Amino acid sequence: MRSRAARWGWVATGGLLLLIYVVAGLSRISFNVDILKLLPTHLRQVEGLSLLLKHFAQSNELIVTLEASTAETAEAEADAIAAALAQQPRLVKRAVARPPWEKNPGELAELLAYLVLNQPPEEIRALAARLAPAQAPATLQATLDLLTESVSPQEIALRGYDPFDLTGSLAGIGLLTGAQQQQQQSEFASADGTFRVIYVEAAKPFGNYKETIAWMKEIQRVLAPWRDRPGLRLGYTGDPAFAASIAGSMEWDMASSGVMTLGVIALIFWLCYRRARPLLDLQLMLLLIFALTLATAGLFLRQLTVIGVGCAAIMIGLSVDYGYFVFQRSQLHGGTVRELQKQCVQYIAWTAGTTAAAFFALNLSSLPGLSQLGTLVGMGVLIGAVVMLVVYAPLTRRFQRRAAPRPPSVVECLVASTNFQRTGAWLTLAVVLVLLGALAVKGLPQTDFTDRPLRPRHSEAYAALERMEERLTDEHGLRSLVVRGGSVEETVARLRAAESRLAAAQARGDVVRYRSALPLWPDVAHQRANLPVLAPLAAEIPRLRQALRDAGFQDEAFALTESVLTQWSAWSAHALPVWPDNAASRWIFRRAVSRTADGQWLALGLVKPAAGREQALDDAVKNLDGVFLVSWSALGAELQRVIPREFLQVIVALTLAVLALLAVAFRSARAVGLFVATTALVFACLAGLMSLLGMTWNFFNLAAILLLLGTGTDYSILLLLALRRNGGDVPAAQRELGLVICLCAASAAAGFGTISWANHLGLASLGKTCALGLLLDAAISIFLLPVGWRILHRRSRLRPAAGA
Amino acid sequence: MRLLVFLILLFGPSPALLAAENFDLTPVKKWIARQDEVRTVQADFTQTRAFRALQSPVAIPGHLWFSAPQSLRWELGDPAKAILLRNGDTAYLIQPGKKRAERLPADHLGGRADSRNSAQAFAMMKMPLAKDYADFNRQFEVLAVSTQENRCHLEIIPRDASAKKMLTALKLDFDTTTGHLLTFEIALRDGSWLRNEFSNVRLNQKIERRVFDFDLAGYEIVEAK
Repeated sequence: MRSRAARWGWVATGGLLLLIYVVAGLSRISFNVDILKLLPTHLRQVEGLSLLLKHFAQSNELIVTLEASTAETAEAEADAIAAALAQQPRLVKRAVARPPWEKNPGELAELLAYLVLNQPPEEIRALAARLAPAQAPATLQATLDLLTESVSPQEIALRGYDPFDLTGSLAGIGLLTGAQQQQQQSEFASADGTFRVIYVEAAKPFGNYKETIAWMKEIQRVLAPWRDRPGLRLGYTGDPAFAASIAGSMEWDMASSGVMTLGVIALIFWLCYRRARPLLDLQLMLLLIFALTLATAGLFLRQLTVIGVGCAAIMIGLSVDYGYFVFQRSQLHGGTVRELQKQCVQYIAWTAGTTAAAFFALNLSSLPGLSQLGTLVGMGVLIGAVVMLVVYAPLTRRFQRRAAPRPPSVVECLVASTNFQRTGAWLTLAVVLVLLGALAVKGLPQTDFTDRPLRPRHSEAYAALERMEERLTDEHGLRSLVVRGGSVEETVARLRAAESRLAAAQARGDVVRYRSALPLWPDVAHQRANLPVLAPLAAEIPRLRQALRDAGFQDEAFALTESVLTQWSAWSAHALPVWPDNAASRWIFRRAVSRTADGQWLALGLVKPAAGREQALDDAVKNLDGVFLVSWSALGAELQRVIPREFLQVIVALTLAVLALLAVAFRSARAVGLFVATTALVFACLAGLMSLLGMTWNFFNLAAILLLLGTGTDYSILLLLALRRNGGDVPAAQRELGLVICLCAASAAAGFGTISWANHLGLASLGKTCALGLLLDAAISIFLLPVGWRILHRRSRLRPAAGA
Repeated sequence: MRLLVFLILLFGPSPALLAAENFDLTPVKKWIARQDEVRTVQADFTQTRAFRALQSPVAIPGHLWFSAPQSLRWELGDPAKAILLRNGDTAYLIQPGKKRAERLPADHLGGRADSRNSAQAFAMMKMPLAKDYADFNRQFEVLAVSTQENRCHLEIIPRDASAKKMLTALKLDFDTTTGHLLTFEIALRDGSWLRNEFSNVRLNQKIERRVFDFDLAGYEIVEAK
């Protein structure tokens, strides 16, 4: 009695500890929606794009896009939306529908003062000379002449408010050209004005994805009056929109695929055994495995990627195999629990070991997303094996002792029948021939090594982003130039090196045009030399204003000059380098300059490569330290160069490892040969089926080859082991394991199959490919492998002790 | 009346749309209908510019020569400070004082309001702006029309939104009997304006072809951006 109480005490304590473990782990789980987290960080494109997104994508900024039938409507509604959002200080820090300087052009004076301050000292000396008492009247007369004669509206507009030609020293840096102005304009509106953009900054940083989703819902509620307005079309993009939609779909994918898999498993089990209690126990075991694995992931991995969410369905689909096996053995077993466990451990250890090894082998891939999936499923499979052996086996035995004997189910009878074996073999042969024919006719499946599989299937945020790019820019194929430096000086040196290479590339015809952040970058030496010349000019303001009046100008024409002179004077007390800091300047600099938490500097520019010369351009800058020329298309090209090669290495290594293990286990060349032939046939049929269905190979479903090597091959291995156990008696082996393999394959295929509908295209393609491969593997192993066995052993007598 | 058209283009970008028929537009319709009769135009003009930054307007003389279908010489200043020269699809903005010529790509000759650089200056080279009254009506909204004796005053605005953002009106005065354009004014939203007053207008007189040539030897020639 005391020992029984003590045992229950241990069970309760263990259960409590398990519960604490699960709760602690699950509470730490969060989703990482950054698709770059799925990719190898050592790749230059991934590193550069990560810097770009992290430091320039404005994680708290939602972009609301608006399309209307007329420019007037679009402008008015964009302003109204910005005003409505601005009235929600709890949600929104600011909502910007037009350039900050449009409302207050005077704010640009600070930027102008800064740009002039960075010019070479000789330019500044010439500028000071233009303002000197003797020269000022001539300078003003030249401006009057220009206003009279110029045919450039831009020149006229600028000089009217810059009569002393302070901007003259900027002529060489290209910042004031029309193209530049056009680009500033295009940040807010399309050329025809019917497409507008509102930039909405959240009131505070988001703590997690749930906060982001809630915030997005609130914003959409505020903008609901515009949503259904005829002739208006709203879109949401930017980091919060991506985070909300992708994290939301990840949550849904994980929950729905897990629940669907559990449902399919329950259905399969019920059809086969028609037993409620073991089914309930099995489902509880699967939930326990899932909770334990996810808790472990929460404790050690913290963030799940969009690929990692596929783990739930896959690990349930795989772990249930051990449950089936334990239950099937328990049906035939009359001994103790320990004996049942002993009977099962060899099979389960073997299959769980190879399956986990295959999934853990995904860590050899440099794709972190797949590595995470491999780690999660590998852990899940091992946890599943332990749970089924330690917890489920005793449950089935206890239930077996209580339950009355039952007649075999229809499915059990069907699978055990000779007719089923024969018909199955003919049907499988027919399917195999059709698929091989398809392979011969249509060839191998196409490859899709673009960035498409990295994207979600449905994403309003992507759609809105693509629409925005289409409407606001009239060109494609732009590369982002990201320059990173440890200090202002190092960054400017790297910017100059990059500009030098780009200028050479442009001269060679590799570049159409480029723009770096160099004109916006502070030149400390120039600032140090120029400030003593420029700062004292503020004292000349009264004289200069009078000269202006005398020359026929209004006082209004002096406002910009006065602000600039005052700004230089104010900066004379600042430590160098001087950076502009008002609202207009911050807006302009936010997508050009960034500083990291660890004190590094980042500069952003744009490069338009010449068509077909992208590789030459990449080569031109690839050896420059801290310089990245990145784009999504360039990322795709880099992945295409690296990933298939890596996969090939991992596949070859895993194949050799499996063959070596089998050689040791079987100690029979014929058995290993049969295994190789079966596996080769499975992959050939899978390739044929993919061609037939128009499926392609991508970065993610390439991993299916690895997973099928580790998981699907279990079926042929199990059957080969059963054939040996039964002394080559094919019907006996099929009776013993046919049903289990059918169940395992159906469950695993259900697990993978349910993620075929995942929102992430890469994950979905992986699920679909694996599900099809597993079904093919099971059918070929159950029905055709025994035929091969018979053919190979027709002329030789089997010696059970020596193996095949 | 192509003179009217290209002067409108000079300062008022083109694009699309509808029109109101709330005014008596008969003189305007007749005037536009007579465009096809014009084969050449020669004229002197005085361009007056008023800016908010200036206490009083500034003025400069100029000359223009036009020959259908696509030859134009437009000179600002005497001697010329700026010359817009078009011969077929080739066009230059020439600054003799700087010995510099900017070659204008064909897509800049359309005079679209959203052309990137110096759109208004280049726009005058799109000929003709309106093929007929319907085309004129599609591109411009009529703000006001009044006729006093032989002088018709017309105020229009391009229907293009980006042009409307800059302009308040394009104002033209023409002689209803001769079809001569008398004045053309562009009024900007910031309160500044630019007016051309034409004199010595000669229609359909022979113009030497060399007028539309220019020797660019010694000039720095750059492509317009």
